[in-house]
Parts: sequence; structure tokens; C-alpha cells
Amino acid sequence: MNQRSDKSSHCGSPEHAVHRRLFLQGSMASGAASVASFNGLFSIPAAAEQARQQGKKCILLWLCGAPSQFETWDPKPGTSTSGPFRAIPTNLPGTHVSQLMPRCATIMDKLAVIRSMKTEPSEHFQGIDVLTRGDQPRPPFTRPILGSAIAQQLGDLDSPVPQFVLLDPCPEGNEFKAFKSGNWAGWLGAEYGPVRAGGKYSIPNLGRLDSISELDHQDRETLRAFLSRKYENDRRSEAASSHNAAFQRVAGLMSCAPLFDLNKLPPADRERYGPGAFAQHALQARHLIENGSTFVMVANGMPWDNHVFQHEMHQMLVPELDNVLFQLITDLEDRGLLEDTLVIAMGEFGRTPWLNEARGRDHYPNAWSMAMSGAGIRGGVVHGATDKLGRNVVEGHTDNRQLFATIFRALGIQPDEEYDLPGLPTFRRVEDDAKAVEEVLL
Amino acid sequence: MSETTKTLTLKKTQDCKLPTSVLDAVLTDDETAMIAGCMDGVYRLQFEPHQEELLYRHDSYVSSVGLLRDDQIVSAGYDGGLRWFDVGQRQLLRTTPAHDFWSWDMCVSADRSRIASVTGQYLAGSYKYEPQPETEPSLKVFAAESGELLHQLPHVPSTQAVAISLDNRFVAAGNLMGEVRVFDLDSGQMIANWTTPDFTSWGIIKSHCYLGGIFDLKFTPDSQSLLLCGMGPMRDPMAGNGRQLWQRWDWKKETPTLIDQTHQGQSGEGLMETLAVHPRAEHFAMGGRLRGGDWNLALFDLDSGDRIASAKTGFRITRIQYAADGKSLFVVGTQGQPKPKKDDSPLPPFGRVERYEIG
Repeated sequence: MNQRSDKSSHCGSPEHAVHRRLFLQGSMASGAASVASFNGLFSIPAAAEQARQQGKKCILLWLCGAPSQFETWDPKPGTSTSGPFRAIPTNLPGTHVSQLMPRCATIMDKLAVIRSMKTEPSEHFQGIDVLTRGDQPRPPFTRPILGSAIAQQLGDLDSPVPQFVLLDPCPEGNEFKAFKSGNWAGWLGAEYGPVRAGGKYSIPNLGRLDSISELDHQDRETLRAFLSRKYENDRRSEAASSHNAAFQRVAGLMSCAPLFDLNKLPPADRERYGPGAFAQHALQARHLIENGSTFVMVANGMPWDNHVFQHEMHQMLVPELDNVLFQLITDLEDRGLLEDTLVIAMGEFGRTPWLNEARGRDHYPNAWSMAMSGAGIRGGVVHGATDKLGRNVVEGHTDNRQLFATIFRALGIQPDEEYDLPGLPTFRRVEDDAKAVEEVLL
Repeated sequence: MSETTKTLTLKKTQDCKLPTSVLDAVLTDDETAMIAGCMDGVYRLQFEPHQEELLYRHDSYVSSVGLLRDDQIVSAGYDGGLRWFDVGQRQLLRTTPAHDFWSWDMCVSADRSRIASVTGQYLAGSYKYEPQPETEPSLKVFAAESGELLHQLPHVPSTQAVAISLDNRFVAAGNLMGEVRVFDLDSGQMIANWTTPDFTSWGIIKSHCYLGGIFDLKFTPDSQSLLLCGMGPMRDPMAGNGRQLWQRWDWKKETPTLIDQTHQGQSGEGLMETLAVHPRAEHFAMGGRLRGGDWNLALFDLDSGDRIASAKTGFRITRIQYAADGKSLFVVGTQGQPKPKKDDSPLPPFGRVERYEIG
């Protein structure tokens, strides 16, 4: 049966109440919005310490629209499908990547690259669905998205810091927009859905009114909580209980609002990551993970869908991704967090080996690449291979189920565990007994 | 359209293929052959009888080719290099690493004494993805004969198009953001610059970044005005469905002024990549890709700006050149790359070269 780990269980035990109280004391003692950690960032020491002890985390760099494998992880130099960019050697002998990825070329020993992804959907919505949920839909049941599944397993609902955060400043995104408006948490329930931030998606009305002092604010909350709990106990009201849970979440968000403020991040870090929205939110993802979030998904609309201007767009997008991955992985390693933090970079499929008339590459699920690093992942591994022109997988075929089995295994989550869903058919976290890609696992 | 504007016809009279995309081409002086810059190298294509020969390669796609004196040609590539080649001797004469990034476009002055090449990688420079400033000079001018670097001139990446005036006095370059800079070719001094916002898209729908810009520009024969081409702004640049757009600017005014642009009702959708001006300045031609509408090759009256002829070629046009007598147009480009059946099986040719008689 699907059980949450002891550390993160949502059982309402006194221990968690103490945690919450300790957290509030820790943060409020110095003024919630201005607590400075050793590195000058807004940080919540108790939560950060708890995050360190709690276990595995995950950052998903969601490359929506689908990047080209030829201009990233699987270049085909000297062939008709190569495109205009060269291939460069990496610190992994015999392994080359696109010339657009010079920084990742220096940390290939920390990365596991799968060059043999082969999946079914060739349209965005279906591709996004399968590569974020791990499987094809089985209507009318909605499988939780990866972030929800991981937050439910590894996260702490009692934490004031949101456990699943989506950072995406783009309000549109074609099929991704449609997908974003759907049910992300599926049968796990809304409490496992993401908190969305980034760009205009600042979290509104989180500031305490100036007319209310911090002490007043705490007193009011204590009184509200007492009366609410009394009402809930007296009448066994689920509505009141739900209202209480929501209020707790908002109160938590209020206390950690500065975590969502890009301007609170150190300028030197911001400069290192690069000025683009995607890079800035990747840095924010690191900061959220450091401070207690369990899963952060970083997206920027759907920029990789280059049916036109393929090379004109990839000349900009790939170097940004290259730097973001490099900074994120080296930062996490420097802070002792890489061992427990899984970083994934992927889209919903790849791009065609051949160029269309509009100087673009079209959708291609038959043979594409993705990369991972960190928690549970063996660095310095290139799994699978495609043929000379990149048309087909010739070795190490990996599909979405195998990929998700690998991700769950890397995070210490049992892939084939059954979901406990009374009244629903049998669902497993990963269906069909799909096996993880052992080669990339520690 | 003005009632006095005379309409013309375009009739295809020649049709050849090359193995890969033709990204630029130039007619030989006797017009019996063409030098073509392709994805896989520089070709000499003889028209009658049809004969194609791969002369040499770059380390990446060839972006531009130009004709020099004495049977020599020069080419530029996505490898950032310029290469001089003697066609008569079939001999590579010189290789010059001109840029760290691609040469997007290269041109040779009418007197064949100078070569101008533009570069620049678009990298994110802000949260909104405005481009970073250049890390190398975006425009370089070389002596055609010696290969000596004469000028290194500034612009903002990516600088995608370059042209030299017919009187050999000015060099102009246009970029992703629609900025045009005009320099004195002798002194290297910038004498005009302005920005037109009409060719650049900021992705609202899919991507918060910039796309498009100026893809070609040409001085009119009197050097007084500049023609620009590209595609009108789109909410979703990935759709490639912006308006087929040219603009004509009086660049010599203290504040450069827009004189004219594609007339309402005379454009379809698609990126326009190339311009050519009639040898006697009767009209100009524009070509590119057809995304929506009924033409991707058209002639426009140089005075009225009216469209006076159009054709649908069935392939993306990358370069147009008038014959010296102005009676025909040579049009080159590419179809989509065919899907390879096997790893080593040759692809059917997808580069296109066509000739149209102007009637």
C-alpha cells in the first residue's frame, strides 16, 4: 500500500506541531521577512536544517516544447542531420555534446544522459501528459503529476514552505497552457498540487498589513486557530477542518513569502545563473529546495518548439540551459545537497533529424535525449544510443515508464507500489512492472 | 494599386536541383553558371548542359558566396570563416577565421574591392530576453584582394544582414531587434542608425523571447534609401505566420524616415529572406517562405511600392538575383530535408535553382 515515509508523514502528531512551533519561533524571532542566513539569503534556519535531514528532493527543469537532441546531448557531426553546430569533447572520454554546451561538457562525470528515449505521443499535450505523469491517461482517472507524487511521498504537508512549486512566468504556452489549467495532483487531492510562482505569478496578498503588528498578528492567529479547532471538535466539521488546513497553508506562505522574491537572492548568484527568466527561476528553485520545498518544476512557457528558426532559437536556449545546469549542479554539490537532490532536464519528446522547409525541426518521439544528476544517480554515464543519423534507438531503448521507474528509484520511492484508491481500479505508481535503468542508478 | 502601375508576369523557364539547401548563390559574369553556397559546401552549377560540381566545403553550412575578380570567389559560413577560392584553378586560396560565431551574411562591394560580413550570437541579456551586447565586433570589413581586416564595427547581436551601396561608399547592417546601422565604408564611422519594431516578435504565446528581425537589406541604386525585409510581428513566433514585409527607409535624413512598406492587401504570411533591385531600378524583388497566401516571390514597383508580379515557387527562397539585362530572375532556395530511409542512403536533392522570365 502506498504509505508516506515516517519522516514526512502527515499524521498530526505532536512532534510536527513542535516542528511548526519551532519553525515559527525561529523565523519570527528575527522578523520573518528579513532573516539572513550565513550566505545572506532569506532563509529559515529550522526549515533549512529540517530540509537537510528530511531526505530527497527534486528539481525538474521542464524544457517544454521539446528541445533538439542534436543541439544538446546527441550531436551527429559530419552527417546530413547534424545542423550547423559542431560537437565538442567532454570530460567523459569519447563522449561529445553540442558545442552549445561547453559548461556541461566539463561536468559530464556528474551527469547521466539517456540518449535512447523512445516514447509514443508526438503531440505536445499528450507528450506533456505522459512525460510529467509517467503514463498514458486512463480516463476518467487522473494520475498525479511527478511533482505531486514526489511531494506526497517525500514532502511534509505541515511545512510552511510549499512542497511542490511550479515556477513559470509565461501565462500562455499553447498546449502547455491547456495542460497547466488541468488537474495536476490527480487522485492525490488538491493539497498535493503545485503553488505557482514566477514572473507575474507572485503570490498575492501575502504581506502582513502595516496596521497590524507582528504580535497582534500572532495573537489573532492563535485566537482564530483556537476557535476554529473548538468549532471543528464540537461539530466534527470537515469543512472547518479543510478551512483550517487552507489557513495553515496561507499562513505558511506568508511566513516564507521572501523565498519567492527574486530580488532577495544575492546579486552575485543571479549574475552567475544568467539574466533570463528560466535561469533566474532555476536559482530560485535551488533556494526553495534549500529551504524545505520537495519538488520544484522550472518552466518558461513552451520555448523549445522550434518548427521555425530551429537554430536561431537553439543558439540562445541551449547556452542558457547549459549554464543553468552547470550552476545548479555545482552549487548543490558545493552545499552538500547534490547527494539528496535529483536534477532532471527534459522535455516531452525530441526533434526530427531532418530540417523542414521553414528552417525548423518538428516533433520526434522516436529517439531523443534527457539528462539527470544528483540523488541516486550515477554520474558519468551515457545510457543507450541512436543510429548514425539519429533516426532510431539502436541500444538501451527507454520509455516513459522506465524513466519514471528510474526517477522514483533514485529518490528511494518504490516504483511498482499500488496506490491506495478505494473504489478505483488498481493503479501502480509505475505500471506494467517497468524496470528502472540500472546503469544510471547508484 | 495605382491605376498607372503596370503589372508584369513571371514565367518559370529553368529548373535545376542541388543536393542540399542552397542558402546563397551568385551568377558568374557570363551567366552560364552559378556559384551556390549550400549546407554541405560551395558548388558550381553550370546551366547548359546541367553540371554540378562541389568545389569545397566549410566546417558547417555555407551562408553566403560572392564573386571577386579573376575567376575568384569568396564564401562565408556558419563556422565563422571566410574562404577565398580560385574556380579556374580549383584551388583554395585563403581561409580567414572572421568571427567566433556564424557569419550570418556576407556581401561583396560592387567594385569587388571589399567584403563585409556580420555575426552575433543571440544570448539572453535580461529577464525578458533582450539580447546581450556583442562580445566580438558584429560587422567586419575586409579587403577583397589581400584579405586584410579593414574595419571592426559595432552592432547588437544577432546581426543578420549586410549590404554595401552600389557607389561603394556605405555599408549597412540590420539585426534581430530591427536596428539598422549605416557606416561610411572608408572611415568606418557610423553615420546613421535607427530601429524599426516591425520585423521583431516577442513571444507572447509560447516563449518570452525575441525572434525574427531584419533578414536582408539592399540600398537603392542611388544609395538614398534602404530596403529591408523580414516578417511582421507575431504573438507566436514559432508559427512563422507574420506578414510578408518589406520597408523602404530614407536613411540620409537626420532622423531616418519610413517611406513605404508592403501595401495592405498585397501580402500573405511568411518570412521574407531576400531582396534584389532591378539593374535599371524599375522594380525590386522579394522572396522567402510561403506560410499563408498565394505568393512567396514578388516584384514591387520601386516608385509606387505596388506589387506588380507574383509567383508561388513551392520552396523557400533564400536568394534572388536579377540577370544583368533585367529581363529574368534567378531564384534559389530549398525544400524540406527529405527523411533518410537508411543511414547511408543518399537523400534526394532538395536544393532548388530556378529562372523566371519577366514579361
